[in-house]
Amino acid sequence: MMRLRSFIPSLGMMLLAAGQAGAQGVLIDKSEIRFQSRQMGANVEGRFRRWKANIVFVPKDLGRSKADFDIELGSIDLASDESETEVKRPLWFDTAKFPVAHFASSTIKDLGGDKYEVAGQLTVKGITRDAVVPITLKKDATGNSVAEGSFTLKRLDYKIGEGQWADPGTVANDVVVRIRMVLPPV
Amino acid sequence: MQAMDPDQANTHYGAMAMALHWLTALLIVAGFTLGLSMVGLPFSRQKLQWYAWHKWIGITVWLLTCARLAWRWTHPVPPMEPMPQWQRRAAVVTHVLLYALLVVIPLSGWLYSSATGVQVVYLGLLPLPDLLPKDRPMADVLRGVHLTLNFTLAALVCIHGAAALKHHFFDRDAVLKKMLPRSWNP
Repeated sequence: MMRLRSFIPSLGMMLLAAGQAGAQGVLIDKSEIRFQSRQMGANVEGRFRRWKANIVFVPKDLGRSKADFDIELGSIDLASDESETEVKRPLWFDTAKFPVAHFASSTIKDLGGDKYEVAGQLTVKGITRDAVVPITLKKDATGNSVAEGSFTLKRLDYKIGEGQWADPGTVANDVVVRIRMVLPPV
Repeated sequence: MQAMDPDQANTHYGAMAMALHWLTALLIVAGFTLGLSMVGLPFSRQKLQWYAWHKWIGITVWLLTCARLAWRWTHPVPPMEPMPQWQRRAAVVTHVLLYALLVVIPLSGWLYSSATGVQVVYLGLLPLPDLLPKDRPMADVLRGVHLTLNFTLAALVCIHGAAALKHHFFDRDAVLKKMLPRSWNP
């Protein structure tokens, strides 16, 4: 399975990291972007195999912190080859025209108690909407920072599933996106 | 309360055993036909619906088979017709294998569905727990297992039916009649 390396934080951010703990590259093999949709009332699990993240997280300087993602939609992992092929077609992601979904954070708020709120813009299929992702930050046994969060994406907002697939009775409008990012200690 | 002629009482399977047998037979044919047909459909709402029905039929067969085994355990079956020893042995082996497959096949389908990341929701109402995490290579293996077991079942059902007809039309014994209502006497 091929995975692209995470973007290396820009030099300025690295200097910032040197000065104040926080800016790191994502440990991409330990991190994941998963989702759960509902199809005929049944939960269907999936994930994206290839994505890039540019995360700068400085708890003491949230103004300079950011989280940007590029998700390669064609790398989707679904129930079968057939459903993976289907979801790349124009009625769904239309990956020929729109291969990448992009998220860019605008503000990160400290909610206290290791909880944060990342607000930004998510662009899928040429449509940009505001998205807010609550995040919980923890340390794992090896000292890595683990940021976990989830949010509900309304697939119809982004025209994911048009025509016969627009009916939320077949595939629910709500898709729960779960993000787990593991960042090494600085 | 009217006393029953003990000889007559034990020449046929009871009403419950017959009902369970013929209902299971009907569901096996329906589930098998649906299973063969649905895999070739183009990806569509109809395909998802047929998969859902196929799964509901499978879970129903599993429940009916558990009920049958419990019923058989507590209710004596009519004695075997006189026939050569090898035929008695073949009948016992076939019946044991049929029961075993009717228990195992729905479970293999449930495991397969879980491994593809698609939850089974019985009758669209009762979500069943996922038995396995989503795992594509495992799903491919389980698909093969589910198919092989089903073709084995199809072969056994043919043998079972052919043997019943052979006993009825050639040997002219009561093997088939035992599973038919007393009033119906072909």
